[in-house]
Amino acid sequence: MMTGETSSAPSGKTKSRKPKYSRFSQQELPACKPILTPGWVITAFLCVGIVFIPVGLATFFASERVVEVVDRYDQDCIPPEYRNDSLEYIQSTLTDKTCDRSLIVPKQMKGPVFIYYELDNFYQNHRRYVKSRSDKQLRSKASESDTDNCKPEAVTLSNAPIVPCGLVAWSLFNDTYGFSVKSKVLDVSKKNIAWKSDQEHKFGSDVYPKNFQSGTLIGGARLNSSIPLSEQVDLIVWMRTAALPTFRKLYGRIEVDLEANDIIEVTIKNNYNTYSFGGKKKLVLSTTSWIGGKNGFLGRAYLTVGGLSLLFAVGFIIIYVFKPRPLGDPSYLSWNRNPAGI
Amino acid sequence: METAINIGFACSLLRQGMKQICITEMNSDTVAKDAKQAVKENILMQLTNASQMVKLEKDPHAAFALIIDGKTLTYTLEDDMKHQFLALAVDCASVICCRVSPKQKALVTRLVKEGTGKTTLAIGDGANDVGMIQEADIGVGISGVEGMQAVMASDFSISQFRFLEKLLVVHGHWCYKRIAQMICYFFYKNIAFGLTLFYFEAFTAFSGQSVYDDWYMLLFNVILTSLPVISLGVFEQDVSSEVCLQFPALYQQGPKNLFFDWYRILGWMGNGLYSSLIILFLNIIILYDQAFRAEGQTADMAAVGTTMFSCIICAVNCQIALTMSHFTWIQHLFVWGSIATWYLFLLLYGMISPIYSGNAYQILVEALGPAPLYWCTILLVTVSCNLPYLAHISFQRCFNPMDHHIIQEIKYYKKDVEDQQMWRRERSKARQETKIGLTVRVDAKIRQLRGKLNKKNATLTFHSCIAPPS
Repeated sequence: MMTGETSSAPSGKTKSRKPKYSRFSQQELPACKPILTPGWVITAFLCVGIVFIPVGLATFFASERVVEVVDRYDQDCIPPEYRNDSLEYIQSTLTDKTCDRSLIVPKQMKGPVFIYYELDNFYQNHRRYVKSRSDKQLRSKASESDTDNCKPEAVTLSNAPIVPCGLVAWSLFNDTYGFSVKSKVLDVSKKNIAWKSDQEHKFGSDVYPKNFQSGTLIGGARLNSSIPLSEQVDLIVWMRTAALPTFRKLYGRIEVDLEANDIIEVTIKNNYNTYSFGGKKKLVLSTTSWIGGKNGFLGRAYLTVGGLSLLFAVGFIIIYVFKPRPLGDPSYLSWNRNPAGI
Repeated sequence: METAINIGFACSLLRQGMKQICITEMNSDTVAKDAKQAVKENILMQLTNASQMVKLEKDPHAAFALIIDGKTLTYTLEDDMKHQFLALAVDCASVICCRVSPKQKALVTRLVKEGTGKTTLAIGDGANDVGMIQEADIGVGISGVEGMQAVMASDFSISQFRFLEKLLVVHGHWCYKRIAQMICYFFYKNIAFGLTLFYFEAFTAFSGQSVYDDWYMLLFNVILTSLPVISLGVFEQDVSSEVCLQFPALYQQGPKNLFFDWYRILGWMGNGLYSSLIILFLNIIILYDQAFRAEGQTADMAAVGTTMFSCIICAVNCQIALTMSHFTWIQHLFVWGSIATWYLFLLLYGMISPIYSGNAYQILVEALGPAPLYWCTILLVTVSCNLPYLAHISFQRCFNPMDHHIIQEIKYYKKDVEDQQMWRRERSKARQETKIGLTVRVDAKIRQLRGKLNKKNATLTFHSCIAPPS
């Protein structure tokens, strides 16, 4: 088979079959080829150190400024006669769940002071738990019967849909807290504790709770069926599943300042059952800074990385001073270093 | 056979001064039963004599050429003789087999491949070369006068034989490095990503809940980290093509497997393991249970997952930027564009209705974007993941440099222009000594002439000593 050779043009010249030249196809695109010289190495590590250490100090001190009061109350709030039988206590409707606690404010807490409830050993991130909800139903009344993922809390015995369905809603936290200092009641503001996008777009204003907690097994709070879901802020906050088995959720806000050494009287309604799975309940009062709540780890991590980076830069300089390598020196080529074999 | 020898001289496979070993079958008129046996014994004797001669040679510049034709090859390729034939052929500088059938070409290639265990390359341009091309580890076909059969059967095809040099020394060298780096990086990024999912399971009572949104995981390997790797694998050049041609010794980095040995593979995997630990644990501890914003909200699973994923994307793309040494506009676009694409995606995903976006609805605009903690975390994790690698390559480059590092520096500081003698000297040292080829023929001629000149000088001085002064 003879391939079509040089096709003779009418002028009699043979055409070249060389492909058209382009910088892209010949891999000759203009490029920058940075070289990692000792100068650049030292500059890079010094820069990291110089940037990270101040950031670390700033975040560390911001976290140190945050004042936090944590109080575990689930064990102490069981009355003495039920100490050995906490399950009986928590599941009975006849026992008195009121519990009075005293918290001392260690340092001045400038408002707003945020109130959180903290749960421990509660796996809100379990796959079957996370699945057990119906976002469609929460959004609009028309999708009321969309309860497929919500089993076992999907429908009542007479097949009427439960709104909101699913285990996440069913296990809604229902302890309540009342605060007073020097016999004056502190107002707990429930405004803006949930994400605005949740309130406006994910929980419908035409959806009302229906048949909620109507079965024999009550998982948590009951809901007022005359308030639409978009205003049930506790439910909205709860429905944002936490990432870890230890988590805090925003309960409310105290707008006023709390002075140092104030004694806050807390009236807790100890309704929520964490005793059957060995969970813990804690009440947290905390201020915030520009970086958020109290966590010195970010600051310490920045300081560590910045410090290690500076250390490396210094070490590199020292080693380079004692064993310098001139750049582009051909005596370091492998055939000059060991001429026996390349 | 004479034609073959003449062609050998023409293309510098043979030269004056090479000892030629011709293996031929003796003419046997008898059609007796043991004629074949006699011929075989004769050939065996020729092989043995030649092997002896090669072994006893003392001159280091001596070269041998083995010339054999197709008829003889049928005998030598039989199982009882082929090992001796191979042993002799390997000792010779060049071997010419003439009048060979296509089947024999393939058999010779197989013999060399299996007998020496080395990588073989076969190059041919006609349909009769197809067997040989397919038998060899690497088959190169030349497209041209004899048609396209060789091209269709080959692994690589070129249009002229002289392009073979560029194919090996430039493209082979680049390809080896590109593929090695690409594979190592690919393992690294997927380990860094996948292990975080695995570790998180320990926090979810091993129920199988993933911390990332489904769309994040889908897009990770498709758009967000694939384009930079492709640009690394397609465009990466450690040295330019002219330097590759000038320094053939750089090609040896491939056969010596300096870039894909176990040390490097395990190193990259270890880097991935380290990165995954840093990403997960830093994020979990930083976003633990306290508020992450000044407005007091705590981080739910969507916030933690999005923050962690942002950290992975930034860390992994910065890592590839550190790996690359040749930055065209394409690499810049892909690497930084991947990070930008992630944020663009997050923005757009957050804008579509929560029916599809679920908890990622407006997460960047509302929750994470305005939170300084989010950006601080990304910066910390990205730098922590990349700092050990940067330290490692700094040390290696400054105190234990490889050849291409030195040459890159020479080109960068334009020392090849300043000190052209040094450049020429190093170039000549970077060529391996061979026994055949044009340069060796020229060198041999020079040696011969020099030898003659020395003898002439010696006789002249002798005569001038003897001749009585006039």
